[in-house]
Amino acid sequence: MQNSAPVTDDLHQQLAVARAPARRKAAGRALVALASLGFLLVLLVQILHTTSATASGFSDWRPILIAYLIWALAFAIAQVLIRGERGQRALFLLPAVFFTIAVVIFPTIFGIYIASLDWNLSSVEGPRFSGFGNLVGMLNDTYYWNALGNMIFYAVAVLGEYAIAFGLALLLSAEIRARKFFRVVFLLPMMLSPVAVSWMIGKSLLEYRFGPAAALARYLGWENPAFFASPWMARLSIQAMDAWVSIPFIMIILLAGLQAMPREVQEAAKVDGANAWQSFWHVTFPIMLPVSITVLIIRIIFKLKLADIVINVTAGGPGGATDTVSSFIYRVYRDRSNVGYGTALAMVYLVLIIVLLTLLLRLSKRWTQRVV
Amino acid sequence: MKQHDHDQHSAFQPNRRTVLRGAASAAALGTSGALGTFSELALAQANLRAQIAQIPGVGKGAPTDADWQKVGELCLGPTKASIKEGEFKGVELSFMGLNNQNLHNLLFRGFLKPWEAYTGAKISWIDLAQADYNPRLQQAIATGTVDFDILEMGAPFEGDVCGKGLASEMPDWVKKQIDIDDYVEYLKPPVGTWNGKTYRVTIDGDCHNFNYRTDVFSDAALAKAWKDAGNTGEWGVPKTWQQVQAVTKFLKGKKIKNQNAFGYLDAPKPWGGFGFYFLGSRASAYAKHPDDKAWLFDIDTMKPRINNPAWVRAIQDVIDALPFEPADQLNADPNTTGFQQFLAGIGSMIPWWGDIGQVAKASDTSVIGDIVGFDILPGSDDVYNSKTGQWDKLASGPNHAPNCAYLGWGVYVMARVNGDEKKHKAAWSAAAHLGGKDLSLWMVMYPSGFQAHRTSHFQFDEWVAAGYDRKYITSYLNSQLGSYNHPNRAVEPRIPGIFQYYSIAEDELTKIFAGKVDAQTGANNIAAAWETLTDQIGRERQIGLYKASLGV
Repeated sequence: MQNSAPVTDDLHQQLAVARAPARRKAAGRALVALASLGFLLVLLVQILHTTSATASGFSDWRPILIAYLIWALAFAIAQVLIRGERGQRALFLLPAVFFTIAVVIFPTIFGIYIASLDWNLSSVEGPRFSGFGNLVGMLNDTYYWNALGNMIFYAVAVLGEYAIAFGLALLLSAEIRARKFFRVVFLLPMMLSPVAVSWMIGKSLLEYRFGPAAALARYLGWENPAFFASPWMARLSIQAMDAWVSIPFIMIILLAGLQAMPREVQEAAKVDGANAWQSFWHVTFPIMLPVSITVLIIRIIFKLKLADIVINVTAGGPGGATDTVSSFIYRVYRDRSNVGYGTALAMVYLVLIIVLLTLLLRLSKRWTQRVV
Repeated sequence: MKQHDHDQHSAFQPNRRTVLRGAASAAALGTSGALGTFSELALAQANLRAQIAQIPGVGKGAPTDADWQKVGELCLGPTKASIKEGEFKGVELSFMGLNNQNLHNLLFRGFLKPWEAYTGAKISWIDLAQADYNPRLQQAIATGTVDFDILEMGAPFEGDVCGKGLASEMPDWVKKQIDIDDYVEYLKPPVGTWNGKTYRVTIDGDCHNFNYRTDVFSDAALAKAWKDAGNTGEWGVPKTWQQVQAVTKFLKGKKIKNQNAFGYLDAPKPWGGFGFYFLGSRASAYAKHPDDKAWLFDIDTMKPRINNPAWVRAIQDVIDALPFEPADQLNADPNTTGFQQFLAGIGSMIPWWGDIGQVAKASDTSVIGDIVGFDILPGSDDVYNSKTGQWDKLASGPNHAPNCAYLGWGVYVMARVNGDEKKHKAAWSAAAHLGGKDLSLWMVMYPSGFQAHRTSHFQFDEWVAAGYDRKYITSYLNSQLGSYNHPNRAVEPRIPGIFQYYSIAEDELTKIFAGKVDAQTGANNIAAAWETLTDQIGRERQIGLYKASLGV
């Protein structure tokens, strides 16, 4: 029965399409052609105007957006005219497609174009095409490689965050007193903005002169509790702050996984005489592996975008020790108005992230398959 | 020679006696009837200045929005003289400026509120943090999306804005209203002008002066310890960078008022490009030779001088001093050294703009009060001569080269108002109100983000009447005037992208200060990056603008 439904549906659709008069189909195709031609014409006029090839054109690019919207509308109407009911169904999907084209695909392609330009906002000549010039510059940019190196540290540190979060999740899934209260309390850091955390913790609690954490460290015998003055200490302090904000996120996902885990498995392990560690390592952890890998991948994606805390607290220092790729790109854009180079760095980073995550997903698939 | 010049200059300053003598003469002239109207006007203005200087009164807490509005209301006279009530009804203006330390735009709002009420115009505000200001402005310029009518801007951007025809030329009536001839000499053209046209209503005069703790340098116990340590000179305020280094090293481990004493405070952490000025202040005495107007680049080629022996020596000074400064100094930017350290009682010497003197005395945020003294930046026993490649010892003594960093803030009207006569007049009227002679006096007396920039600001009696201690304010104002008028002052280059140069340098400097590269290697890296940047922006144009900025 389940298999027969799509066949009936298909047949119904074919009949519906066949019923659509040929005239309507022709009108639909003509509408698409006309709208596409109009859109391309307006685009061409504006490109020629912008490149100073012609004098006539629009003062800004807003008419192109309007032309795109008109084209999208015409395309949607044409789908109904050409494909009948199937076209009507497509109307549910088309807005999302057009929106994705407008805000994801076009900006990405445009970004690749910008990445090929030598474009400093202060330059007299404006943007100049430089091909792979920015990529060559990147290969020789010690700041970028330094930031990438730091990213490895930050990404690996996610494992530590995961371990702590798992511990907390186990704790909160156990039958402890005030469990609901602790669940809410442990989630609080996640609700704070990283910028707020930068100021509250990085610039207040950990402040060398008046920060309570520094005072406590002095009391405990650390003579000069400077949390951001030496490279490793600064790196660890930044990592600790980011972990404080992010561990609750990992914890809540793991907690959801633990809650969904069948109790019978744990009870069977107990009956078999497994102690707490064996029960965790041989039963809970493997069952939780798919959830763990999902949360780790999400967390690594977030981690690779780390910038706010670094920018606010250390500005990448001391000596680039805490710099991240995002905070470096931010400086290239913001302080140096180097638009072409900054975009190229961001594009390369995007590719690196995609490659890394693809690899991680493939590996995780293997691991989880083995477990299952 | 330089000290002599300085002393001679100080001698020309109006003191209480000369000002009173002048006032008495003016009063006598007024009563004679010959200059009755003039004297009435002068008296009214003097009364107004005295009145606003008492709002809220120095030492009576930080000024509030109500105070700003009150000052704005009292200073509406020149506006009322040229604009009818409600004349700008229906005009909407957009103003872009800063919100540093809750000053700048926040004050402007208060000052302009009575102006809005009187003229009928409405102003919307774009507030930016210091670090966000440069990119926002650069983007607006580069993409042609100027979405503001009035702009608070520093002179370093004049090349970008006025050079591209984005600013509106100042009408003559505005020049008259703001008494443009009252500006101190170094802020007169070419500053504020481009191709002979005037664009800027100056509201600030910038230089780094040397701020020091008077209690530290008059402390008997420290003086004894200084002698006991085998130092030959007397314990006192350092006059050269060599002495600054010695004092900084000496103070490590000493106590003042039962607290750890520290000497000079460096600001190694990047600050959106602005942190580079602080290395510049250490370097100017080494790098700015009296016979050479340039000190940052070679004039004819734009070849960077940042890796010459003078700049490298300044960088090395920072490296040498950092171990004697507070333990977390590597993570201190100028905001930290100025407002969280020096004004909070940590450290005894910093270079900064005039804000320190204002805030120390007239803001609740300062804990050190008036135990601050001021001077022009320290000099150096020798100065590097870029032309000969030698270190020269001047016959006149130590070389001083005050760092006139940033050339101060100004208010500019954008060209986009030019097509609308009413809007044009409204925008310039608002700018003129903010840059008015009397209003500016209040701004430089109280925490505002702006420092003295008019000749009329140096009437010491007005400051004393407002509540400043005479010794304190004399020291403060003389340090600024001494810098502005110094024959060997190091002036900011008004070239496009100057903050990109500074930002690149800041990044490399943090590596140097963290010990990842030595001073010379790091300086060479900065020089190489600057060369690339100059080529990217356009070398020939940069050379032309650099020459123009130096008046060559």
